[in-house]
Amino acid sequence: MYNRRRARALLAMLVVSALVLVTVDFRSDGTEGEGPLGALRGLASTVLGPIQEGLSTLVSPIGDGISSFTGLFDARGENQQLRAQLESLEERNLSYEDVLREDAELRALLEMRERNDFTTVAAQVIASGPSNFEWTITLSVGSDAGVRRDMPVVSGDGLVGRVIQTTPDTSRVLLAIDPNFRAATLHGASGEAGTLQGDGGSPMIFRPLDPEIELDVGDEIVTSSYSNGVFPAGIPIGTVSSADRDAGLLTRVVEVRPFVDFTRLNTVLVVIHAPERELPGLEIDPNEPFTPPDVDPNAPQLPDAPSETPTDGASPDGTEPTDEPTTSAAGAG
Amino acid sequence: MIVRVGVIGLVLLTAAVLQTSLLPFLALSGFRPDLLLLITIAFALTDGLLSGLRIAFVAGVLTDLLLSASPVGLTALVFLGVAYAVGTARPYLAPDSGTASILLAIGGTAMGVAGYGMLAAMLADDPISLGLVVQATLVSAIYAAFLAPLVTAMVRGLSRQFPTEQGGIA
Repeated sequence: MYNRRRARALLAMLVVSALVLVTVDFRSDGTEGEGPLGALRGLASTVLGPIQEGLSTLVSPIGDGISSFTGLFDARGENQQLRAQLESLEERNLSYEDVLREDAELRALLEMRERNDFTTVAAQVIASGPSNFEWTITLSVGSDAGVRRDMPVVSGDGLVGRVIQTTPDTSRVLLAIDPNFRAATLHGASGEAGTLQGDGGSPMIFRPLDPEIELDVGDEIVTSSYSNGVFPAGIPIGTVSSADRDAGLLTRVVEVRPFVDFTRLNTVLVVIHAPERELPGLEIDPNEPFTPPDVDPNAPQLPDAPSETPTDGASPDGTEPTDEPTTSAAGAG
Repeated sequence: MIVRVGVIGLVLLTAAVLQTSLLPFLALSGFRPDLLLLITIAFALTDGLLSGLRIAFVAGVLTDLLLSASPVGLTALVFLGVAYAVGTARPYLAPDSGTASILLAIGGTAMGVAGYGMLAAMLADDPISLGLVVQATLVSAIYAAFLAPLVTAMVRGLSRQFPTEQGGIA
């Protein structure tokens, strides 16, 4: 009985301690490395980072083998989905013009991707987040290598996520499949803007601003430089996997299958600098003489020009009204 | 006693590193086993309520420090609840029962993952969907069933080697 009372007292003490920690962390916003708990988080990353990096290198081949085995469970569902997609494509009976249009759009997207002249830092993925409700990875580079918060992270396949926390040697990346991840995006074919949000699992959620937009399964979704330019424009994200439309809803929810396999991330690139796209300047010949427009000062006054005098009798500039008739600006010359 | 604390600390740190480095490769539909929660359950079952609560708090805070989006202390709260439930159920179970440890691991993991999911859903800016919580709970519970015998055997061996001063609460 004595021990049970002791256990309850200990439980109460630890629960209060946990609640104090939660409150302190909420107030100091420890996710950004600020406050005592933010510093503690940084310390944990610094201490565990090298161990995780070493272990990651060691277990990576084993892990690849294991994930290939566990991937078999997902393969059946994916196979069914691909068959369904194939059937729907066969039913579409694509016309030659349609193929040409699609080809031109894809070429434009490809050109846009190749135009991106990123300055990047290569990083090894050394760890993942420990929780089932937070999709993060830890990278082997940090602020010493120039990595800063909110920088985009990409792989050869497309967008991986954005940096949310840095220490001198490591950085933590919020993956694009995390429910807290949001990005301004574009529907590649039409250029229609929308927002993309992670949904925990493989498909992400694209919400176009215009719910009536024409979308097809397989259409590409890319990043847009909206939202203060967090992401450079044109990074591929994924393809539309479900374009169903729910009648009566104000917003449309479109599932997007990401290009990136988030379970097999080994090496990624942190985009340190993405060049801003400059709009072509106006071509004005400086030697061309300025010719003012022809204005005839003796042109007749417009017959029924509306008077700007307020109806309550006060003049626009607040002066007292006069008995003289008001004149419009057109007839003042 | 100091040696026991040191060894348990080392076990928790190793588990945290494994949780973030190796276990992501075992992910099924994006969800993976929760090793630190399993170790907490095993200690609460083997060493009793007092030891279980202490380890739950440390393991929970350690998990929180490796997270980014949720506040420090949230996982500790959930782990404390699970350790209290397992520690309270312990006197009613047959000692050294393999089935009981597996059932408690499944139940405790389900309780912990679902509890954390619901707390996170209440506190997060972008709430986690109920479907996601259910999926994570199911996958974690299945993994717990497979890993429980291994983890419990390890913790029992550790407990025999470095016993508590007062023993568990019967």
